[in-house]
Amino acid sequence: MLSGKGFKKIFNVSGGIKAWEAQTAIGPQDLGLDLFTGNEEPLEVLKIAYSLEQGLREFYLEMEKQAETQKVKELFAKLSEIEVKHQESIYIAYNDVSPEDINKDEFEKMVEVKALEGGLSTMEYLELFGSDLTAEIQVISLAMSIEAQALDLYQRLSSKVTNLKSRNIINKIASEEKAHLASLGKLMDSL
Amino acid sequence: MKWMQFFTPVQSLNFSETKQYIDEHTGDEIQILDVRQPGEYKDDHIPGASLIPLPQLSDRLDELDPQKPVLVY
Repeated sequence: MLSGKGFKKIFNVSGGIKAWEAQTAIGPQDLGLDLFTGNEEPLEVLKIAYSLEQGLREFYLEMEKQAETQKVKELFAKLSEIEVKHQESIYIAYNDVSPEDINKDEFEKMVEVKALEGGLSTMEYLELFGSDLTAEIQVISLAMSIEAQALDLYQRLSSKVTNLKSRNIINKIASEEKAHLASLGKLMDSL
Repeated sequence: MKWMQFFTPVQSLNFSETKQYIDEHTGDEIQILDVRQPGEYKDDHIPGASLIPLPQLSDRLDELDPQKPVLVY
């Protein structure tokens, strides 16, 4: 989030506070996530956004299965449902921006190709982050980092899109991602 | 579905590198940012770290100086 906002020098403390306490470095070297170089065109950004929402949805469905408490299961179920609505909004925005309309199947094919490049499965992704799926705090923490990326994506995209309707759609999704982050934060506080 | 690898060019520092970096700079030359929840910050944090929970970060970036290095955890 910081790298897109003009911050000159950012360091990710790998392993976070746990590494600090244990005085040993843990966790992957690339714990910080980012989506964009900032040079993508709006159409490209929307395709990436669509695949991100798909990934988020699958992540939440997986978390719903894995969660041990009813409260957490319900939260993940709700979050996954909202991602479907976001995907629909992104598809509409794509056709608004695109010079020619594209049907949903073709759009999804393009997105899938992009998403598969050097991709990781959801489980590989979780493993990479060393998330312990039985530890709710860790799962929620990972979900928060992904939501923060999504929020960052939409905020940056919003400033690039000139079509007012598309911008409104993107701003609405950004507000919802922000609300997701806040609800995940509250959930973490309650555990 | 597979995820794209969305890795940032942001540099990572391990514990000893972080400690060395903090030791080599005065408090007003760098910013240490804790993006966890307030309860976690209260339990423990790196000395000198500012707390801006991740859900609030996008609205509170003006509290940070973009010209100074930021160590985030």
